[in-house]
Amino acid sequence: MTNLTSSPGTEALPVVKETKSAGRKPEAKREVKAFTGLAHIALFAWALVTAGPLIWVLLASFKSNTEIFLGKPFALPEHFSLDTYFDAWGEAHIGRYFLNSVIVVLISTAGTMLFGSMAAYVLARYKFFGNRFIYYLFVSGLAFPTFMALAPLFYILKNMGLLGTYTGLVLVYIAYSLPFTVFFLAAFFKTLPYEIEEAATVDGASHTRKFFQIMMPMAKSGLVSITIFNIVGQWNQYLLPVVIMTGPGAESKYLLTQGIANISTSAGYHAEWSTLFAALTLSILPMIVVYAIFQRQIQAGLTAGAVK
Amino acid sequence: MSVVERPATRHAAPPPARPTAKKRKSDKTPWLLAIPALVLLAGLLGYPLIRMVILSFQNMRLRELFSGRTPPWVGFDNYTRVLSDGVFWAVTGRTVAFTIVSVLISVLLGLAIALLMRRVTRGVRLFMVVAMMFVWALPQLVAAQIFRWMTDSDFGVVNYLLDKIPGVDYANHSWFVNPWQGWAVITTLVVWAGIPFLAITLNAGLTQVPKELLEAATMDGATPWQSLRNIILPILKPLVTIVTTLSVIWNFGLFTQAWVLRDGHPEPSFQTLTTYSYTQAFGQSRYSLGSAIAVITVILMLGVMVFYIRQMFKIGEVE
Repeated sequence: MTNLTSSPGTEALPVVKETKSAGRKPEAKREVKAFTGLAHIALFAWALVTAGPLIWVLLASFKSNTEIFLGKPFALPEHFSLDTYFDAWGEAHIGRYFLNSVIVVLISTAGTMLFGSMAAYVLARYKFFGNRFIYYLFVSGLAFPTFMALAPLFYILKNMGLLGTYTGLVLVYIAYSLPFTVFFLAAFFKTLPYEIEEAATVDGASHTRKFFQIMMPMAKSGLVSITIFNIVGQWNQYLLPVVIMTGPGAESKYLLTQGIANISTSAGYHAEWSTLFAALTLSILPMIVVYAIFQRQIQAGLTAGAVK
Repeated sequence: MSVVERPATRHAAPPPARPTAKKRKSDKTPWLLAIPALVLLAGLLGYPLIRMVILSFQNMRLRELFSGRTPPWVGFDNYTRVLSDGVFWAVTGRTVAFTIVSVLISVLLGLAIALLMRRVTRGVRLFMVVAMMFVWALPQLVAAQIFRWMTDSDFGVVNYLLDKIPGVDYANHSWFVNPWQGWAVITTLVVWAGIPFLAITLNAGLTQVPKELLEAATMDGATPWQSLRNIILPILKPLVTIVTTLSVIWNFGLFTQAWVLRDGHPEPSFQTLTTYSYTQAFGQSRYSLGSAIAVITVILMLGVMVFYIRQMFKIGEVE
């Protein structure tokens, strides 16, 4: 994450030479000890507020319908069983929607990263006519809220026959993720050293090869940060699939967020609310996986300044 | 994809702006690399925006949508209709007020938490980051569902907990009868969901503040407040500008939260510009009116934000 953010700030800072300067000074630690105690308490309280709702959902997802309405929200469920999860996965079709979402997000994140990093590399590293203009085009995409283009987007996809298809959805996801991706990656590529690239040019590497074999590995930490950001952002989408995944037979192609919305809107007080909570819990699972995969990079990025 | 190579020694750089930068303009590969992104952006973001502006000058109804005929041109009719509508201005005022309040609270809290995180041990910090990752990773829709349930008048946890306080009767209290309370819930949700991104980003930015600088300041007798104001904040300023700008853009476009908390039918007092535009366009099939509202929204936002967005552009161009 450091890289995601450090790059725009580098302008003002001597970051490059700063790596081993942050040695621990005991006297500085002592002065803030009293404050540190308070800080821990404040953070603990805040962690409770942050995690509280999540814990509540997790508890409710194991309870039966009647238990949820008993009025003891923080009581442990009477017996742990995964029945609600099986209900959600099978009967409410959450399983299918879940896989739909995974596929769409995998493809569109991969596409976003590929196209976004290529464009960012070119914009950051090459001077050519129209460079600034294109860069501003990308960044101004950042300033437009999603909903602004919804009506015409619907219309365009309809004309192209892409309404209610994953192709359409993936392309739209990529297009909507590009401005942010290009904005941050361009700033990031600019901070990378030029010498290695020059050496590669001397040795006769093509532009394409330089990009994939030299720049990409060097930019790894920045790429990881933005990848996580895009996975999270695209997994969270609700409005776009609602607009795009319509039409005959669209129900089987719903994404997870749509499926969840479906459970809660089609159901009144008599319905299986526990199923909803199980579905809600399931929707967080992939993010745990993503976190586990990228854990080392995230930690390295986040603690870099403190530990080095 | 291999291209005929030109040795680096040949870079006859046109303007010597940056001596290390390579300038090979005669080559087409750079363009090729950027083209897929450009095509997608132009086709799915640029073109819809232009269509939307065009649409706002027409009168598109269901009939034209299905028949595919060009809707009649109506000039500025949609705009005059929207701008002379009191409801629109009420919605605008509400959206602006919500944006200011929610962004202020989130950025201040996010900064406070980021600063606190610098003070705690590595283990605690890691725990914080993990907890925040989960909240950040929660789809807006899911977060909104959770809050809808927590504030449910009959079975919500919030009423349950408030009712435990002696002398407070919150059993069966409905949070959305009074717009102020309803907006408090929505703001809490947005702030709760928004803080992780802000805190994680700002915390990462804080790792870039040179420690010697802070130590030197402390030696010279600077209070923590002085170090914050004169050292940390100036260094953090570009980052704060970026995250504030992004938060304004995101919160101004508030949709899902209000939509879900009001069950897909926001009452007039819970409409924001986004939901208003959406209900006009898709709910009432007044596509052109909805487009006009959206265009006005963006113009309003860009008008207010122009300074910050320019700032953000500049920061992005690390030279």
